[in-house]
Amino acid sequence: MAGETALELERIRRNYGSVVAVDNVSLAVAQGEFVTLLGPSGSGKTTTLRLIGGFEELDSGAIRIRGERVDHLPAYQRDTATIFQSGALFPHKTVAENIAYGLRMRQVPRAQIAERIRQVLDIVRLTEFEERYPSQLSGGQKQRVALARSLVVRPTILLFDEPLSALDLSLRLQLRAEIKRLHDELAFSAIYVTHDQGEAMAMSSRVAVMNKGRIEQIDAPTRLFHEPTNEFVYTFIGESCCLPVRITSTAKPQDRTGQPVELKLEQKPPEGEWRLYVRPSRLKLAAEAQNAPNRLSAKIHFIEFLGDFYRYHLKSGALELFSDHRGPTGYKVGDIIDIGWSSRDMQAYR
Amino acid sequence: MTIAASGKAEIYALARQRSRIRERLSAWLLMLPALVIVLVFFGIPTVYMVRMSFNLHIDRRLYVPGFTFEHYANLFSNPLFTNAIWTTVQLSLLSALFTVLIGYGFALLVWLKPARWRMLFVGLALCPLLISEISIIFGWWMFFPKNGLLSYALVSSGLITDKISLMYTEFAAFVGLVYVTLPYCFFILLSIFDGIDKRVLEASADLGAPPSITFREVLLPLTRSGALVAFSQSFIWAMGTYATPSALGPDTLWTMGYLIQEQMLGKHNWPMAAALSVVLVIGVTCVMVMTRMLMAKRVAFHD
Repeated sequence: MAGETALELERIRRNYGSVVAVDNVSLAVAQGEFVTLLGPSGSGKTTTLRLIGGFEELDSGAIRIRGERVDHLPAYQRDTATIFQSGALFPHKTVAENIAYGLRMRQVPRAQIAERIRQVLDIVRLTEFEERYPSQLSGGQKQRVALARSLVVRPTILLFDEPLSALDLSLRLQLRAEIKRLHDELAFSAIYVTHDQGEAMAMSSRVAVMNKGRIEQIDAPTRLFHEPTNEFVYTFIGESCCLPVRITSTAKPQDRTGQPVELKLEQKPPEGEWRLYVRPSRLKLAAEAQNAPNRLSAKIHFIEFLGDFYRYHLKSGALELFSDHRGPTGYKVGDIIDIGWSSRDMQAYR
Repeated sequence: MTIAASGKAEIYALARQRSRIRERLSAWLLMLPALVIVLVFFGIPTVYMVRMSFNLHIDRRLYVPGFTFEHYANLFSNPLFTNAIWTTVQLSLLSALFTVLIGYGFALLVWLKPARWRMLFVGLALCPLLISEISIIFGWWMFFPKNGLLSYALVSSGLITDKISLMYTEFAAFVGLVYVTLPYCFFILLSIFDGIDKRVLEASADLGAPPSITFREVLLPLTRSGALVAFSQSFIWAMGTYATPSALGPDTLWTMGYLIQEQMLGKHNWPMAAALSVVLVIGVTCVMVMTRMLMAKRVAFHD
């Protein structure tokens, strides 16, 4: 993380009545860094973004852009530009007028405005659309115009407020790749809010996982996936199955109802109630599981065909889990088979 | 109809044709109830009124069947009537203007406030619609006179020293008219505001526009056509309102509504009253057509 800091949040806090929406969040975004705020709805990620943009007032803490405090300034005096979920294009202005708006507010000379509109439309690949009105654009084109309108003013930091969530899947993937390409080319600093972990993992330099107004972990996507610091992050990033078990020093492990289960663990955790998590994509079935250090024998409950893979839903006592496999394996519903996994693919929490 | 040549294709063609006729017919059938109501309760009386305006008026009889342009000639030459038309237009324009200004501010406020305040304001705006115009006039009678609420409030707040009466002034008539038209104006404008994504205001601020410029560049252009509709609506209401201006205004405030009433009931001159009404209807229609024409261009950018 070289270069100066574009944005710094210092213990910012925002309450709605008795509800704490943003709880002492601190975060620094380096110049050219793409940081994603990822979390379930109500986790405070959008509020954090709106606090930075100046659409909401801080209750405490400080926001600095390029080292200067801005939390006392109104939105129109902050060097940020937001891409809204709805696009929020001005419906009565053409694409060119929409893009020119921010430049006009910054008193950029007319000739330069025309030139910069041309450039930015070229960047977002909408050259022929200058004279169109937003109602004449598709959803994806609208978001590209919104992006152009924000990019063109060259803000210190771009704020993305779930810009793709209103689009359909293929368009989402396409635009996500485009935003990534633009970031690689232009190296802008950005905070990107989303509840879609795929988006977060694919685009970001770092991802901050938020929950209940706090940042649970902030790390590069790979570390987040492989080294989650707590149970929330583990379960929120990637798919996981939860096995609630009771470990005793003498008898076999039991499920929550007290029934013993055929579960062998490489390293047995201390006695007590545990939640073991495994990644369904890392589970091995039957013969492949023979040499796995951790094994559970379970009955096939039902099988789902999901196009790219088959999902085997398995049950052992009160434990339920599922496992994804490419081809059909020949096992049927009702068969009892072994499932295995390595210790690296398991986490235990209590 | 040749049964012999009834190939399957022809049967289908016939069936298709029949269903197309049915489709066209069903549109008219669906419109029928509304059409009947409009024709019976508005169309026929209007035609009757137009016919009435050409009847003769002899010997203080209500009317004598005949055909004359006398009443129209009288209407446009007699200063009594031309002044009334002018007074009505002036008063209506002024009250419509203020109605839109107040209504715009109020609707903007309600739109910007959090949703929990909304019901309160909407309820408040509904109140005058639940009370009859006559009851509201009685309310003004307690408000404007020398010993009324307004006078009392002004004296006790120290703004004036002597009690004043604003009853039977043009100002009272104006205030009364604004009050009558305001709720309609408010609801029209609120519906216009509700059609705007509030994020565009944030987007404008985000791009560096202070509130005054956001208003001029974004909010005003997006609400202009709505404000125009609200204005013409208020203007039309004010033009046709009879009770409020005649009950609150001075005796010399002769609006068209007042004259129609006077010609009809006082002078027993039904053709003259009808002619006045026809002029009023035509005037209102002109305003509506003009509004429509101005709007057609403005809403081009909406989906």
